[in-house]
Amino acid sequence: MTPDTAHPDETAQEQVDLDNEQAAVDPALFEKQPVEPPFARTVHTTPLHLLISAESRTNRWTEWNGYTVPDVLTDLGDEYRALRGAAVLADHSPLVKTRISGRDATDYLQRLVTRDLSSLAVHAAIPVIFCEGAGLVLGDGILFRLGDEEYRLVTEETHLAWMTESALGFRVRIEDVSATLAMLSLQGPLSAACLRDAGVKDIESLAPFAACWADIGGMPVYVSRTGASGDLGYELWADVEDAPHLWRRLMSKGMSHGLRPAGFALRELARLEAALPRAGRDYLSAFAAVMSGDAATPFELWSAPAISLNKPVFNGGRALRRLADKPPRRRLVALVAEALEPVALSTVLSGTRPVGTATTAGFSPALGANIALALVETSALDGSLSLTGRRREGLSTQELVLPARIMEEPAWKMARGSAFPAALGL
Amino acid sequence: MSWDSEGFDAIVVGGGHNGLVAAARLAGEGKRVLVAEAGPRAGGAAVTSEITPGYSVSAVAHLLEGFPRRIERKLKLARHGLRYAVRNVATVALDRDGKHLLLPRTRKEFAVFREALPKDAEAYREYVAHRRALAGLVAPLLGERPPELADPDALRRFLRRSVWRAMLKGRGTMQNLLRTLPESIGDRLDAEFESPLLKGALAFDATLGGGEGPYAPGTSFRAVLREAMRLQGQGACLPAGGMGALADALVAAIAASGGKIHLDTEVSRILVEEGRVNGIVLSGGVEIRAPLVLSAISPGVTMLELVGAHHVETDDIRELRNFSPRGTAAKINLALDRLPQFTGLAPELHGARLLIAPSLAELDETSHAAQNGDLPLEPVMELLLPSFADPSLAPEGQHVISIIVHNIPHEIEGGWETHREALVQRVIRTLGGYAPEIADAMIAGEILMPHDIERKYGLAGGDWHQGDIRLDGLLVSRPAPGYSRYETPLPGLWLCGAGSHPGGGVTGLPGWVAAGAALERGDA
Repeated sequence: MTPDTAHPDETAQEQVDLDNEQAAVDPALFEKQPVEPPFARTVHTTPLHLLISAESRTNRWTEWNGYTVPDVLTDLGDEYRALRGAAVLADHSPLVKTRISGRDATDYLQRLVTRDLSSLAVHAAIPVIFCEGAGLVLGDGILFRLGDEEYRLVTEETHLAWMTESALGFRVRIEDVSATLAMLSLQGPLSAACLRDAGVKDIESLAPFAACWADIGGMPVYVSRTGASGDLGYELWADVEDAPHLWRRLMSKGMSHGLRPAGFALRELARLEAALPRAGRDYLSAFAAVMSGDAATPFELWSAPAISLNKPVFNGGRALRRLADKPPRRRLVALVAEALEPVALSTVLSGTRPVGTATTAGFSPALGANIALALVETSALDGSLSLTGRRREGLSTQELVLPARIMEEPAWKMARGSAFPAALGL
Repeated sequence: MSWDSEGFDAIVVGGGHNGLVAAARLAGEGKRVLVAEAGPRAGGAAVTSEITPGYSVSAVAHLLEGFPRRIERKLKLARHGLRYAVRNVATVALDRDGKHLLLPRTRKEFAVFREALPKDAEAYREYVAHRRALAGLVAPLLGERPPELADPDALRRFLRRSVWRAMLKGRGTMQNLLRTLPESIGDRLDAEFESPLLKGALAFDATLGGGEGPYAPGTSFRAVLREAMRLQGQGACLPAGGMGALADALVAAIAASGGKIHLDTEVSRILVEEGRVNGIVLSGGVEIRAPLVLSAISPGVTMLELVGAHHVETDDIRELRNFSPRGTAAKINLALDRLPQFTGLAPELHGARLLIAPSLAELDETSHAAQNGDLPLEPVMELLLPSFADPSLAPEGQHVISIIVHNIPHEIEGGWETHREALVQRVIRTLGGYAPEIADAMIAGEILMPHDIERKYGLAGGDWHQGDIRLDGLLVSRPAPGYSRYETPLPGLWLCGAGSHPGGGVTGLPGWVAAGAALERGDA
């Protein structure tokens, strides 16, 4: 019997008879409790699901961390134009959010991640990488400092097992708060203007990677200037109950700026243009990689990874000190392949020899070309490269080999993304 | 206390026999060494204690089986007072009907053995020769530093050397080794012998101190390992004055080289500065600095409690968390007012190592009972009457008996307090079947369950071997892959206790090899 179903007067009747030597046994103790396994549901929906379903014109859905999310709501081209020319609002609630708190929270995180956190102020965020003992990347994410002894780590995949394992000996509390915290991502050059109109004061004075509490229509919302679009953008963290109201308010206030809702496909495209690798796609977490080549070191994935080798101890530190001297075996590079229409890219060739794999590929409207993130052998980076691709027309497919070159700069990287104060107009 | 100003080159945490051996080796090389022992005396599980005034006995370990001669000679332990009451103690398998079996050491004894077991005698000779050949192959590995697991060349050299050594021993050795590695001692003995008593005794030796029964895979190799340990020493020896005499000699050797031993000195943490070890902090808050710290206590306690997870990576800790020794042997020491007469046992054999393990089936049964958390009905055990050869241990005409009860559960439902008496009763009843007057002769006694051994003598889990000595717990995997070369991931901190290769038993080898490796590295 659960507390909900027990009648109050029923429990009040049971009084202890002090004269009775026979111990009274509560029969409820022996009742079989119907147990609902906590993780029985594997198909989740975000708090915004019903609201977003109403926006969908395509019925194209995809799966993200077990959640059903829209892939494309209206048209990817329209959504893209809104992102680069105005602003888009997307539901990023499926991201994994872990709260780390306690007296040793700072010490714990200093050992967990590779970079030095001593300069991280309260209400600021920082990108972090964390590795296992052999120096292979487990994941990367954004770490928020919410208070002196309170942090939030936002990652693509869950790392709860590793994080609790690493907590041995530290006075910390580690909680997965993913399901209790909704996140709306507002990206685009007019995102600051949308927020101002929604009622956030002084939004332009929020520096990149800074965060603050704001009051939007009476709802407490934690606003951070973060995002993976390579442009100006904000992320809004709110209670799940508030999230639909927040969404409606932003949509109505942003209407005049051309704010549109967007789906998962646009997030992937934006991050590809910004050349940001994603866990599970461009690299596999070291524990998830079956083939050793699927896991990567930070030096392979980022050209200047945030690693403080002079920190006395952090996970992977011993291995990374060894690796730091040697050039990495492969590198994750952004490639552009000349072709006027979208092509599905797969293998990187040097001459006829395969030297790497395109892990994420897509057609960049900004460049009007196919671009890809690819893990390529370092030795082949100096020579000429080509990409194999497949183009589909009607029922026939055509195998292509396209000349490719390495992009020195990401396809989309706007100075206004890191401008301070943030621009309120175009 | 102004210990700080003394300046030490090395500190050994834990004054068990391995810690003492390591300290003695370092001190012998001219290093200024401090041994910090939490208890009131040094020696760990190799100590002599009084059962009741006038009656002394080796409290936990009672025989010196594999203490290498070379350590004894290098540390000049004889000069520091180590004498033996008996060398090469005989082993007798006790029989319920009085037809006891002396495991032969000499030609003459073999002739008697053949008379008693005409069918098994030849097989026994062959079995011993095989075991010895394999032990000769394994023995050198026990006294050396395991190869670096991360270095494929070192590993290849190591394997190639081992294979060559096997080839040199003759064609059959390699096949024999490959056959012995995975097999169970029970199956092997069943195939070769008829006498249940002989099989019981041989299997007892192979499984003593481990949690498994005689039919568990890999137990055959443990018999080889045990033999290899014995080859290091000179058979089972009984130090005059009990095992404490070894600890005393080691203490004297350390003192003679200028080393210091502080008793009742509890280390509360190991000092880590700038990512390396820099000394220890005592429970009173006193800091003692030294560039080298060797820990002779359990690897888990060293890393998790003394160092703390803050100073090492998660992977380093994860490996050790699974390493938790669980003792499955109890020790009973009794003071007797007379020499107990074992029915049918020749008077001169009363000083031998006496085994009560009547058959494989009974040994198997006790191990099953122990695994199910039950007390064995008829315990199997090893008895020793040290006062028979060493009268100094008890008043004249009186004796002490030291009993290792094998295969008892590590934990028991309801706790040991309620079952302690039951175990003693069962041991005495079983003993009474061999020496009827033992119950009347008892005047005092003590019983040490695994957790008593842990509490009184500091052995983690009360496990004599600090983790089963078996193939997957030796060399590169003892105590965990990252720690197998005595060095910990923390610069300046080394392990030198029985948790490291080659493991438990009073061998001094972990301490000796670890100290040698640290000296070679030049950490001190």
